[in-house]
Amino acid sequence: MIFKRNQPDKPARIDATVATSQADKPVPLPVADLRRMVDPASLGFKTTADLEPISGLIGQDRALKAIQFGTNFKAHDFNLFVLGPAASGKRTAVKQYLDKKAKDAAAPADWVYVNNFDSPNRPRALKLPSGRARPFAKAMVAAIDELRLTLPATFEGDEFQARRRSIDEEFRAGQETAFEALNKRALEQNIAVLRTPTGFAMAPMHEGKVVKPEVFNTLPETMRKEVESRIEALQKELEQILETLPKSDKRRRGRTAELNAEIASHAVTAALDDVAEAFATEKAVLEFLEQAGQDLVRNAGLFLAPSGEESEVVKQPADTARDVRFRRYMVNVMVGNGEAPNGAPIHEEINPTFGNVIGRVEHIAQMGALVTDFLLIKPGALHMANGGYLLVDARKLLMSPFAWEALKRTLKGREIRIEQPSEMAGMMSTQTLDPEPIPLEVKVVLFGDRELYYLLSQHDPDFAGLFKVQADFDDTIARSAENDRSYARLIASITKEHALKPAEAGAVARIIDEGARLADDREKLSIEIGRIADLVREADYWACEAKHDAIKREDVARAIDEQIQRSDRLRDRAQELIDRKIVLLDVAGSKVGQINGLSVLQLGNFAFGKPSRITARVRMGAGRVTDIEREVELGGPLHSKGVMILWSFLASMFAQEVPLAMGATLVFEQSYGGVDGDSASSTELYALLSALSDVPIRQGFAVTGSVNQLGQVQAIGGANHKIEGFFDVCRARGLTGEQGVLIPKSNVQHLMLREDIIDAVKSGTFAVHAVETIDQGIEILTGVKAGERGSEGRFPAGTINRLVEDKLRIFAERARAFGPKGGSGGNDRDAS
Amino acid sequence: MIAHVAAAGEQRGRVVLRLTHDTPHPIALQAAMCVAQAFQSEIESLFVEDLALFELASFPFAREISFSGRRSSALSPEGIAADMRHVAAAFQRTISVLAQRAEIPLRATVIRDEPVTAVARACAQYGPWNVVTLAEPLSAASPAMLHRLFASVIETTGVVVVGPNAKRTSGPIIAAIEDIAHLEPMLRTAERLMAGTGTEILLLLLVGARDDDTMEMEGQARLVLGGTPLATIQRVNVPPGAAIDLAERLRRTNGGFILTRFGGLLVPREGSLDHLVQTLECPLFLMR
Repeated sequence: MIFKRNQPDKPARIDATVATSQADKPVPLPVADLRRMVDPASLGFKTTADLEPISGLIGQDRALKAIQFGTNFKAHDFNLFVLGPAASGKRTAVKQYLDKKAKDAAAPADWVYVNNFDSPNRPRALKLPSGRARPFAKAMVAAIDELRLTLPATFEGDEFQARRRSIDEEFRAGQETAFEALNKRALEQNIAVLRTPTGFAMAPMHEGKVVKPEVFNTLPETMRKEVESRIEALQKELEQILETLPKSDKRRRGRTAELNAEIASHAVTAALDDVAEAFATEKAVLEFLEQAGQDLVRNAGLFLAPSGEESEVVKQPADTARDVRFRRYMVNVMVGNGEAPNGAPIHEEINPTFGNVIGRVEHIAQMGALVTDFLLIKPGALHMANGGYLLVDARKLLMSPFAWEALKRTLKGREIRIEQPSEMAGMMSTQTLDPEPIPLEVKVVLFGDRELYYLLSQHDPDFAGLFKVQADFDDTIARSAENDRSYARLIASITKEHALKPAEAGAVARIIDEGARLADDREKLSIEIGRIADLVREADYWACEAKHDAIKREDVARAIDEQIQRSDRLRDRAQELIDRKIVLLDVAGSKVGQINGLSVLQLGNFAFGKPSRITARVRMGAGRVTDIEREVELGGPLHSKGVMILWSFLASMFAQEVPLAMGATLVFEQSYGGVDGDSASSTELYALLSALSDVPIRQGFAVTGSVNQLGQVQAIGGANHKIEGFFDVCRARGLTGEQGVLIPKSNVQHLMLREDIIDAVKSGTFAVHAVETIDQGIEILTGVKAGERGSEGRFPAGTINRLVEDKLRIFAERARAFGPKGGSGGNDRDAS
Repeated sequence: MIAHVAAAGEQRGRVVLRLTHDTPHPIALQAAMCVAQAFQSEIESLFVEDLALFELASFPFAREISFSGRRSSALSPEGIAADMRHVAAAFQRTISVLAQRAEIPLRATVIRDEPVTAVARACAQYGPWNVVTLAEPLSAASPAMLHRLFASVIETTGVVVVGPNAKRTSGPIIAAIEDIAHLEPMLRTAERLMAGTGTEILLLLLVGARDDDTMEMEGQARLVLGGTPLATIQRVNVPPGAAIDLAERLRRTNGGFILTRFGGLLVPREGSLDHLVQTLECPLFLMR
């Protein structure tokens, strides 16, 4: 009924032609294009023992110049950010350069914290010439040690005792004289002065004893009254005497304190004189000594009281430096250089937390409370590096709460001000110290990757202002005979540094080959020193196992194989799924709308290629390609971009005169994870062309490469791994000689294929084809000519393009027939 | 008599710690503990309520002037009794804590009597092996009181006293010996005390007018000391009337205890003890 109501016009009859135009036999890439191998003989040495080890890095001139500039340029805001891949040797290079530079530089000043006697919560920072801080601290301990001996002796001495007794006697005599006079008068009047638990009282006395009340009552009343009035008078007198006692006692204490100070000052001056003499040129030290001396005189009693730490049994003096009574006279060495000049410091902070960078004030628990003093101020990396260089890993620094902000603030302020992190966060804190800031002159070198550098540049306005020098370490160098030789010298330096066996020229050649593979480019060599060094060390291990005198080529090959074997569990699992036909993949025969795509999986340092089936189905439709990956949100933006581009190519190629009245679906079969990148866009296009032309694709091929709107095939990444991944599947199923991989021609320069693939290509059982255009590719895949549009505007009959165009025309005609007015059924929409 | 206990190698004796309403000196209390520990004896903490105060309080006109002199109030026997009770309880509590810590058996008693008579009664009640420790520091009135004490309290051989400036019981045990009769009991007492404090003994042989006695005493002392390793003997010339110099010399030894004879060169039976009182920094064990 529906079709009746909208009866379309009968579509024009277009005879679909068949593929009759055979393509030329494709020519695979020659073996020489598949791998660039080093001829050991060309290296010009027998083993690396014959070579001069290389000092420093190769191919990093730009970065090294930047380091040189950054470290020489004297400005607080020209700090360095050294960026580059991990294991590129950037840290070693920077350290080597700085070691040389710092050795000849002047050693920076020493810094100590001492007690501020006026304001103990604000410890004073003293600057001392290099190497003088520790002697100063020792001298203060020695001075206090001396006082521990001399002060008690001085106060035990005859002079002090005599003078103190004299004072005591003077005041006691005064009091007693008054009391005695009172007592005498009382005795004369037969009155006794007695002491009660809380005061004094008076009573009548007879013959030296208090009169009993019953006896007293027998006396005549006049006499009793007389006694009472005498007692009353004496009591008043006693009251007056007692009232003067506190004042008198105060005067006595004052006199005693003066005497104590006078006696103590002799001993204190004698003890501190040696320190003052040794540091006579240091004004700040002399000021401190003066204040300490005054405090010592005031608190001489500290030296007379026993220490809580002294043993009750053995009266050995406790360690002065740890004795809580004398802490205020000690010296906290924040930066103490050795007495011998050792140049500017280079400090690498491996755990750059807030406290480790800026320094911190520690606390100790005492009776349930947290207390601190200036001796609990701990230096941070900035103190250690002051006057020199501070090396920090940027990522670790950024991951430590408050550390990055604190470092920036310190660099801006050019002084190290120790604060509690809780203060920075605006939270309550325990009572703490506010130590005097220490002036800062340091060159900070941050290490990080490029992503981090660009993120900081973009999002942190302070970063660009403080880290104005970037030293960008490259991860590869260009391949040349000269660089191959430098690489050999680098290997020689690795064997020397790690005390390994020398490597034979063949082994070095194999390592250089591997360097190119790591670079994923046969025209480049990886300079990830860490990975190269690991390979050499592992090869040395296998050489030892094999009892070789030197590292041989096979030892390097073994090391590489073993590295792969340790990491390739997932690759084996993927291979097994294909072998057992759980993951469907054809490597023989031909199928319409079905093709083998290639992807790369990266797991840590190990990458491998994984082939997957891509299928395309076409039908009459509204001009839309359904990318199933995208519809289910498994396709990334780059993949979607690739699909849109191929759709655009199709539209511009075939829909100039007729609307693109087709619908198509594309899918990565049995793909359960995300897909991204556009390296499969040419593959998907081939599948679409096959589906539209009804010409089958040879399943012995796998394809990689992106495509542009003009139908040109463009370079992709991971070409080697992709080829190797498909080769492994084919080998497992049996190499037929009909199998191979299509890659973009621009990727040929990257090829550094495994030796087993080279052997297969040599024997003609496998092939690698390079193509520049979709037309070239479809011809190899189908064996049918692609066809070029002739002067009349049509493709030759029997070609792929003609078949596609005819199919699209059929779709368009049918669509028009089914349309509301019998018109166009499709609109020229892009792929969604 | 503890000194005799020591000389006879006996184990036990008794320390009578006499307290009055005057604040006890902490070193005096410590000294009592040291002596009790050294002789494995018990302590009798004897608080004496001075009878004279109660008689005084019975007068209708009796008034008390506070120590500051700023307050004056009427006295009554009940008031004095209450004050005494409180003071005694506080002092006994302090002593109880000290004795418990030192694991010394303690007996606490309160007697209302004249202070010297009360001590004599207590010593007589429990037998002869007593040493009396006076809790209050020495004062100007002490010579007369000591004289009475040695005269009245027959059942004691020693009295331990401290000065107001006393500060320690640890240090060498100083035995200031003037005659052969006191040599052995003093040495044995010093040995007992040394065992508790773990230090050394310094024998000061005080050389008076008769030098021959001193020579003999030194020989005897060396005989008695035998192999005692931690003992030193020094001869000290003490001219007549040089008690002040002797007191000063003793102070400089930083002794933990000083043993001497009552009525000798250092502590004569009569005369002022002012200088000794001021210089004394450790307990003084006066032997009969």
